[in-house]
Amino acid sequence: MSPLRAILISVAALLAGVGVVTVVSSNTVLSLLTQAVVYAVFALGIGVLLKQNGLVSFGHALYFGASGYAIGITLQLQIMPVEWAILATLAGIGIAAFVIGLIIVRVPGIAFGMLTLAIGQMFYLSVSRARGVTGGADGMQVDWPATIFGFSQSSILKPAVMFLICWSTLVVVMLLLSLLLNTRLGAITEAVRDNEERARFIGISTVMPRAAIYALSAVVTALAGMLSTLNTGFVSPENLHWSLSGMALMMVVVGGFKALWGPALGAVVYFIFKDVVGDYATHWMSIFGVALIAVIVFSPTGIAGALQALWRSKPAAGSRAKAGVH
Amino acid sequence: MLTINLFNGFVYGSLLIIMCSGLALIYGLRRVVNFAHGSFYMLGAYLGYTVAMQSNFWVALIVAPALMAILGVLLDRYGFRLLQDRDPLTVVLVTFGLLLVIEDMVQSVWGKSNLSVAAPEALNFSVDLFGTPVPAYRIGVIVMGATVALGLSLWLRYSKIGLFVRAASTDPVTTAMQGVNTDALSAAVVGLGTALAGLAGVVSAPFLSLSPSMSSDVLIDSFVVVVIGGLGSLAGAFIAALLLGMVQAIGAVYLPDASVLLPFVFMVAILIWKPAGFAGSRT
Repeated sequence: MSPLRAILISVAALLAGVGVVTVVSSNTVLSLLTQAVVYAVFALGIGVLLKQNGLVSFGHALYFGASGYAIGITLQLQIMPVEWAILATLAGIGIAAFVIGLIIVRVPGIAFGMLTLAIGQMFYLSVSRARGVTGGADGMQVDWPATIFGFSQSSILKPAVMFLICWSTLVVVMLLLSLLLNTRLGAITEAVRDNEERARFIGISTVMPRAAIYALSAVVTALAGMLSTLNTGFVSPENLHWSLSGMALMMVVVGGFKALWGPALGAVVYFIFKDVVGDYATHWMSIFGVALIAVIVFSPTGIAGALQALWRSKPAAGSRAKAGVH
Repeated sequence: MLTINLFNGFVYGSLLIIMCSGLALIYGLRRVVNFAHGSFYMLGAYLGYTVAMQSNFWVALIVAPALMAILGVLLDRYGFRLLQDRDPLTVVLVTFGLLLVIEDMVQSVWGKSNLSVAAPEALNFSVDLFGTPVPAYRIGVIVMGATVALGLSLWLRYSKIGLFVRAASTDPVTTAMQGVNTDALSAAVVGLGTALAGLAGVVSAPFLSLSPSMSSDVLIDSFVVVVIGGLGSLAGAFIAALLLGMVQAIGAVYLPDASVLLPFVFMVAILIWKPAGFAGSRT
């Protein structure tokens, strides 16, 4: 996709967000949408890792929860203003993920996924036991100050504003990612993903770019964690649990990871689905387990893949040739 | 203090041996990392609980793994075999879906509260070990782990089926061309691997309590073990399992606050040294 087109689509998406807020007046619907968008950002983080590195993370909740705790603890200590705390948290998580990435992206194939799960779960256990700092299993309240980036907290917490903040974050992150993946880094990581050995032969360092993508995906997910704590004012070990990673991964798979918008679509579908089958909420896990298996077996490319196939089969050969260019 | 902890580390290591040999066997033959392995362990433990309630522990020790073996054969026949030409990731995600279903099922059948199984009468006494009394049952767990490790090694090394399993793990297509029925072989191996997870579950019941979180705890440790040991390698898994048990035991004595993080530190250290694990190849 050309940069200009990506920017135009993003502007249109931002306007659509404003449109949603003016049309939808129900606060319940808005908060449901906000939640869906937060998880869309979360899933986008996992999706980018899968798309560019071909690696599946089963432990991304680590970054979702860690960013909530990091911001909560920094605000509690009152060592810096909130704007700096937000940036420091994201930067800190990016650096930490890069270092972890340097170690674990070298592990071949599926073992990587097992390691992400193990690391995530160990962090979950440590946090739930460290009662002094994190409040242990009870979680901790995050004290957002009265003004954030010059806006008063009460105005930010209005459902419509909150939705717009989350939606704009999603759109901007997606735009930045698609621009970034258009650069040399995108090409290099795809080469490494498709054939690591050959990439190494032509002189590409294979560990660094993959660790960079891993860090990038962690930062995107951390951003989602931050939006979530802004929305709820609360963070608990549940935000770190592997079942949350699993849910987000499920959104990615159901939505499809070949396109950047697939995971986001998966998150929206997930929340609609959850709302519809809400009556059977006690058997959540079974329903999603079966749904996951069904999607993987019958439509491995997810909804996005199915839609793209549909889209490509309809237009004439001319547009197909164009599709091959970008 | 250290003696008893080292002993307990050895016990937990033995449990991990039973668990991980199943995981490694299934990976070796099917190239599937079974995320549902921890759930099989849990299901085995709960089935064992129910059987032990009706009769006694020794019957449970036979019946629960046998039921799990049937489940494993079905999983291979109607799951792994149909999906064998698909991307490995696909199959992994299917086992992840299965994990969710089994966890939910176990919770709705047996509830969320902790359950416990009494150690069998015959092993309900203490033995003096270097001046510290230890429950005889835990020595039984070590014996069980050693039996499984030794039995599997001998079976793979000296029996004809063991030879087929080793051949199919190296190259399933060529093995099939030599006239080995690899489908039946896989069904048997996945059945055996699942039965071993069930066996680990039953064995763990008298000294760890049964709870809905038991599966993830053990699954995480098993993953650490098989990654450190080298995916698909039995010998690597045996060594890594004992080492992990020891690391946790020593950590519980000297670094009680960081004992949760120690396996992670241990794993990172090993992976920096050997990215593919003790016995791993770069595939």
